[in-house]
Amino acid sequence: MELSDLQASPGEWLGGTGPEADIVISSRIRLARNLAGYPFLSTANEQQLGELERMVRERLLNTCRAEGMSYFSLPSLGSIDRQFLVERHLISRELASGKGARGVGLAVDETVSIMVNEEDHLRIQGLCSGLQLREAWERVDAVDTRLESCLDFAFSAQFGYLTVCPTNAGTGLRASVMLHLPALVLAKQINRVFTATQKVGLIVRGLYGEGTQASGDFYQISNQCTLGKSETEMIEMMERHIPKIIGFEKTFRTSLMQQMREVIEDKVWRAYGMLKHARMITSEETMDLLSAVRMGVSLGIIQEVKMDAINELFLFTQPAHLQKQKEAQLDETERDVVRASYIRKRLKQSD
Amino acid sequence: MLCELCNKSEAVVHLVDVSNNSRAEKHLCKDCAASQGATIKSHMQKSSSSTKDASDVLPEIFQNLSATSGAAEAEACGQCGTTYRQFRSSGKFGCPECYVDFNVKVSDLLEKIHSRCEHTGKVPSTASDDIAQQKELQTQQKQLQSLYADLDKAVNDEDYELAAELRDEIQRMQEGAAEA
Repeated sequence: MELSDLQASPGEWLGGTGPEADIVISSRIRLARNLAGYPFLSTANEQQLGELERMVRERLLNTCRAEGMSYFSLPSLGSIDRQFLVERHLISRELASGKGARGVGLAVDETVSIMVNEEDHLRIQGLCSGLQLREAWERVDAVDTRLESCLDFAFSAQFGYLTVCPTNAGTGLRASVMLHLPALVLAKQINRVFTATQKVGLIVRGLYGEGTQASGDFYQISNQCTLGKSETEMIEMMERHIPKIIGFEKTFRTSLMQQMREVIEDKVWRAYGMLKHARMITSEETMDLLSAVRMGVSLGIIQEVKMDAINELFLFTQPAHLQKQKEAQLDETERDVVRASYIRKRLKQSD
Repeated sequence: MLCELCNKSEAVVHLVDVSNNSRAEKHLCKDCAASQGATIKSHMQKSSSSTKDASDVLPEIFQNLSATSGAAEAEACGQCGTTYRQFRSSGKFGCPECYVDFNVKVSDLLEKIHSRCEHTGKVPSTASDDIAQQKELQTQQKQLQSLYADLDKAVNDEDYELAAELRDEIQRMQEGAAEA
């Protein structure tokens, strides 16, 4: 598989097919694993890094044939390709900007990605569309179990899987769901929800994970603790809390429509108008406008565009995706022009 | 990323304040964060909306852990040479052995982060035999420790009959362990 093969479609997780796909974009499970007998990446030298990457890559490709696993070495990818993988949530920003031997194994349908030499030796991640944490866990668990047979993971009876940062030790599991919460933002209720979320031991993050900003009213919610509870218990805890947030978002969508229908409709249609006619548009403005349109589609205000078309636009208007389509390196101003023209074309098609 | 205040050490505390539509970020090293402690604390209370990452809580936890002596701080992992002080400033262990070499402190730390310090999740299928043995060893060690404590007490109380019994029991356990 080549990276350009991914370009044509948005990947299964953005398909908008899973449960609660109106509000839950995707569910993700990631496992942190390190190899016994090797130093962590925090102290490994260049030679050890190279040796680790070669070994893991070889075993990965052998073990994960069923997934149609392809491997990409990061140093051999250009900056646009790296950014392209970040935009698709297949690798982290840290792996993209890191140094030394490192790479990523990708399943052909993009539902499993395995980062090699990120913060830990391996980061195994499973992505599903909508609210499907359990399915994502089953996928990742199966890959992890198969990798166990050929890789000796650092594990202790007391502390579980040993990780570089103690905040990941134990299960090494981080479960996260990406939520689209425009009504809670509009109704200025989002902070109340986050306070309640933090109280039950979950953390709220921006669109691209740790240390990133919320944009387009997208938020990622994940478990904070990784030790002392089993993987299933952690997922159950998320499964108890996330539906409450979904419920709040739905309640506020309904009540906003009852109390200020004109205001909401105006916001949605104006956003749609801007997207349909703008000649230059930044990534940030696109996210904000698409967010309003997405809510409008979900509330039935706009019926001429389908949800999956909007989902696709969120991804395909990102800088690296635009540049891959154009097969050219574009500066910011050029990108704003290309982005606006791409959006106009796509929205015209769905008319 | 370097600390915004001193421009010397690596920034490990990342403050993000999102209020209304504005967003402010602050990246500080451990020392500068500590010197700004009051501000940061009040900041966190004030702004419940700030997105707080798991790694951000580490420096705070280190501050709250009981003060360790200079010698304990300089203690190094026998495998990779990472000292406990280095770990404290970076928040990163050097190798799997660090967990063993800094065991007591690590238990304490993990308890603070996760509210628990015993793993109850998945066990690698290949490790199961070793793990079972390890678990057994741990139990035995705990038993031995408590026997030694009883022995000390018996000697202090001048209860030599009990002390002799305890001594024999300890001997039996140690022989048993050696045979296994």
